[in-house]
Amino acid sequence: METLAEFLASDTLAAFVSDYSWVWPLGEILHFVGMTLLIGAIGLLDVRILGVAKGVPIATVNKLIPIGIAGFAMNVTSGLVFVMGNPIGGPMDYLENLAFLLKMLLIFLAGINLLAFHVAGIARAADAVPAGGDAPTGAKVVAAASLLLWAGVIFFGRMIMYNDTLLYALGL
Amino acid sequence: MLDALAAIESSSFATWVRESPSLFAYTFILSLHAMGLATVGGLSSAVALRLLGIARAIPLAPLRELFPLMYAGFWINAFSGLALLAASATTMLFNPMFYFKMGFVLAAVLIMRVIKSRVFGDSELVGSGVAPPFSRPLAVASLSCWAGAIVAGRMTAYPGLLESYLGF
Repeated sequence: METLAEFLASDTLAAFVSDYSWVWPLGEILHFVGMTLLIGAIGLLDVRILGVAKGVPIATVNKLIPIGIAGFAMNVTSGLVFVMGNPIGGPMDYLENLAFLLKMLLIFLAGINLLAFHVAGIARAADAVPAGGDAPTGAKVVAAASLLLWAGVIFFGRMIMYNDTLLYALGL
Repeated sequence: MLDALAAIESSSFATWVRESPSLFAYTFILSLHAMGLATVGGLSSAVALRLLGIARAIPLAPLRELFPLMYAGFWINAFSGLALLAASATTMLFNPMFYFKMGFVLAAVLIMRVIKSRVFGDSELVGSGVAPPFSRPLAVASLSCWAGAIVAGRMTAYPGLLESYLGF
């Protein structure tokens, strides 16, 4: 962890963050906008697969995925500024924070879920579902898991600032 | 007035929200507020982008079914917001950014209602699959108001920052 923290630490970014008081709030604004775009696109695909707005052929929702990817990219970028440019405590502050680690774990699991969706042929079966059609059960499981995982990402993301509350609740 | 706000802030509910070590107090309510934002802001934005011509392959009419979900997100945020407001009534209600945020949210929800009734309420219009020209300014306004609500909402956590840059 310490090696990783040293690798991630950026004096340039940290100086930039502490020199300009608008950098951190701007990063947070982008992080929330990115979250909204990500959930707007991926969440819409998930709820369609689960049976909302069935008149929409599932394959057409894929056209919104680039918006979700753009949101995710905004969040990776702003997130790296927070971790690498953290002016007090550096990256280690985050790497020792249980809420942050759980958030990263859930993002990783959301990635595995997405991989399973595509590798196992579930995505292809879902894309074949026409207007009014019911998605296969496998796709519904992946969609429900996606919604739960992203809700968890949001929960633990908001918990980062209140890590002590999390540790206390877990008796740690 | 300040006495009334102080009474709200020191009520047992507001104190529980603010000070309870339970995960279901402040932190859970705060994360519900972010999830509600992602739901109402995200789905509204997806519909607005579709009205602006992005992902045209998506048929318009069935998107009408997303409005109950948007309203669910809105009400989650109205209630979680009230709980968070009670917990810091004496400071938040004197924060100018809070009123900017409320203005943007009110405008965004009104626009959402107009889009629902004028665009999606007309089954013939929406059934054609082509977004009517008057829906474009509504879509732009919707995206702008949600963005404004996020910016002002985040800025409530930085009282004085904007003032220090604007010099007042």
